[in-house]
Amino acid sequence: MKECIAMLLAGGQGSRLYALTQKLAKPAVPFGGKYRIIDFPLSNCVNSGIDTVGILTQYQPLVLNEYIGNGQPWDLDRLHGGVHVLPPYKKASGSDWYKGTANAIYQNINFIDSYDPEYVLILSGDHIYKMDYAKMLEFHKAQQADCTIAVLEVPWADTSRFGIMTTDADGVITRFEEKPKKAESNLASMGIYIFSWKKLRAYLEQDEEDKKSTNDFGKNIIPAMLDSAQRLVAYPFEGYWKDVGTIDSLWEANMDLLNPSVPLDVWDESWKIYARTPAQPPHHLSSLAHVENAMITEGCEVDGEVDFSILFSNVHVGAGAVVRDSIVMPGCVIEDGAQINYAILAENVTVKKGAIIGARPEHMEDIEKWGVCVVGEGVTVGPGAKVGPKAMISQDVKEVL
Amino acid sequence: MVNLNAMGIVFPNMHDSVIPDLTAHRTMASVPFAGRYRLIDFVLSGMVLAGVQNVGVIVKKNYQSLMDHLGSGREWDLARKRGGLKIFPPSGYSSYEYHGRIGALKGILAYIESAKEKYVILADCDVVCDLDYAELMERHAASGADVTIAYTKEKMTPALMNNNVSLAMAPSGRVRELMINDEQTGRRNLSMGVLVMSREFLTETIRSAYSRGLVKFEQEILAKNLDTIKVYGYEYTGYRSRIADMASYFDANMQLLYRENLNRLLPEDRPVYTKVRDEAPVRYTVGCKVKNCTVADGCIIEGEVENCVIFRGVTIGKGAVVKNCVLMQNTAVAPGVRMDYVITDKDVTITEGQYLGGTRSFQVFVKKGSTV
Repeated sequence: MKECIAMLLAGGQGSRLYALTQKLAKPAVPFGGKYRIIDFPLSNCVNSGIDTVGILTQYQPLVLNEYIGNGQPWDLDRLHGGVHVLPPYKKASGSDWYKGTANAIYQNINFIDSYDPEYVLILSGDHIYKMDYAKMLEFHKAQQADCTIAVLEVPWADTSRFGIMTTDADGVITRFEEKPKKAESNLASMGIYIFSWKKLRAYLEQDEEDKKSTNDFGKNIIPAMLDSAQRLVAYPFEGYWKDVGTIDSLWEANMDLLNPSVPLDVWDESWKIYARTPAQPPHHLSSLAHVENAMITEGCEVDGEVDFSILFSNVHVGAGAVVRDSIVMPGCVIEDGAQINYAILAENVTVKKGAIIGARPEHMEDIEKWGVCVVGEGVTVGPGAKVGPKAMISQDVKEVL
Repeated sequence: MVNLNAMGIVFPNMHDSVIPDLTAHRTMASVPFAGRYRLIDFVLSGMVLAGVQNVGVIVKKNYQSLMDHLGSGREWDLARKRGGLKIFPPSGYSSYEYHGRIGALKGILAYIESAKEKYVILADCDVVCDLDYAELMERHAASGADVTIAYTKEKMTPALMNNNVSLAMAPSGRVRELMINDEQTGRRNLSMGVLVMSREFLTETIRSAYSRGLVKFEQEILAKNLDTIKVYGYEYTGYRSRIADMASYFDANMQLLYRENLNRLLPEDRPVYTKVRDEAPVRYTVGCKVKNCTVADGCIIEGEVENCVIFRGVTIGKGAVVKNCVLMQNTAVAPGVRMDYVITDKDVTITEGQYLGGTRSFQVFVKKGSTV
């Protein structure tokens, strides 16, 4: 038996990341130089002492499956417990895709029951944050709650983008509204729940019988528990937390790593973020290189200028090339004299000599047309070609003569 | 390449004495190199790339750091049910320190005899290279040799003179003369300490040699019986560095500031595996100045750095000026420090305002764990 196990919802498509999630699920999107988004919740689990994690996959699971493997990089290769990838499967009574977040857990009741846990931690694979779930569990127990929801104070202007919680003086949740037009609180749900498993199990079964339900935690399970006066409490979290579901928020969260005043520290030895990494030599900056305010990892070779940017493994930046305010994912080659501004290059993009990608906002006549530019996996941008700001490229771009 | 059918035996303590500063607390095999590796990584990775799945490591002394580095062998894909990595500390029944290869091998004779592989590769760790063990094996099998020794052509240096095995060969490649610490100058064929033979030949040789009190494999067995034992040389022409003293160790690191060398030693399609430390990428801050450096993960660089090999987890503070240095794991350089031609061992702290300077031919060495 395990006291608490985690279930990580990783089936989302992340359609608002467009070209970046054509071939992989959102939690597998590379982040921060050598990580993928899912490394953050997974590392939080092991750092919090949770050694059993079910990962629910559905959309484009190939990359994610291979990445997780036996869980060894996260120390989750265990004899009892460890990490398990749980795709939808065929049952005697038929088979179903995961219809919603709650249904995904419902379909894996047998998995959870096999560990006979007292508590279940529900996580999602699309947030960047560091959090000690053990403290949240202590809080859940001390509060004798049926469900504890981690909450964060957000600016009032942003409340319409979140699930908003209203609490009484003791932190007991009195009202929950999904993306309210007019919020009465600014406590947003972080999508992190701890349930007492017996309670959740009963509500999942009840929800499954309701044919009109969308089988979603925020829309169905939480409101149903509130309606029947269960004890739901808000666990206040202070610290860095970011939903990276859009191109802009993904770009910002990466850049936050370069900002010393943002409390997201991946160099902290006491709370390491683990990742599966390729065996690559140290990176090399030549005498031609000019690097400032950047993150660079193993296998990179830099002869050009890198400023306010993140280079993932095996990125080559040629002489005279300039990479500014950009995120360059593994295996990209930026040839001599190319310019990259405010862009996200997905894996294995080749930017030929003299090509120009993205633009700087200060050079725009119409700022409305400016935005972060995205070049999809494996794309080649021809010599001298131009890719404008805010563009979303998933096909090769021809040479400009 | 598939099913190479050879086992490997590695001698981590051979040549410890050539760099006493670095081997005070470790074996030659666990000497840090090239930012994120230990010397043994090149041997193990090369063997594994060639399909070797059974490797014995015979340690003699100072082997804590090596055991810590190797663990279960998982990083090299050598945590196996069948074969895999086995570390042999000095055995109980022969509680004295062994002498020579034969003494070392005698201690693990039962292990060698119970192996299934047809061939054995013996390897030292003092030559850093990208040796293709599969090709070496093919050549050994094709030539019909009893023993094949991998060698390189080297220009002799004073450091090499005290610690070498040189080969003189007939045009066929058969070794006619094998000389130990020969003091001739000029270009010589120097053994890389990598020898291939059949397992049967090895076990028979160990038995007969040991009973006659012979312990030195090259000197007492091979060199004296070149008429009856067919010894062949295999020339390795790829990138390598011989670690023969502190100066050559420093130079071997510095050579990796040339990208061409880095790529020849560590080609993209022939990975060298090492212990994973789960370090974050390197952070270069606003105002840092970095030219011609080879840098491993986990570092935070705020100062000015030029011509340096920087290992994992090194921090260099604001205003520090560090040139021509090899900084090993977790070296912390405080703001304002100036350093030129310095080698720092692991966990060294250089406090604010210090100046440390060596020269191109004589570097300042700072011991493991010390604070300057």
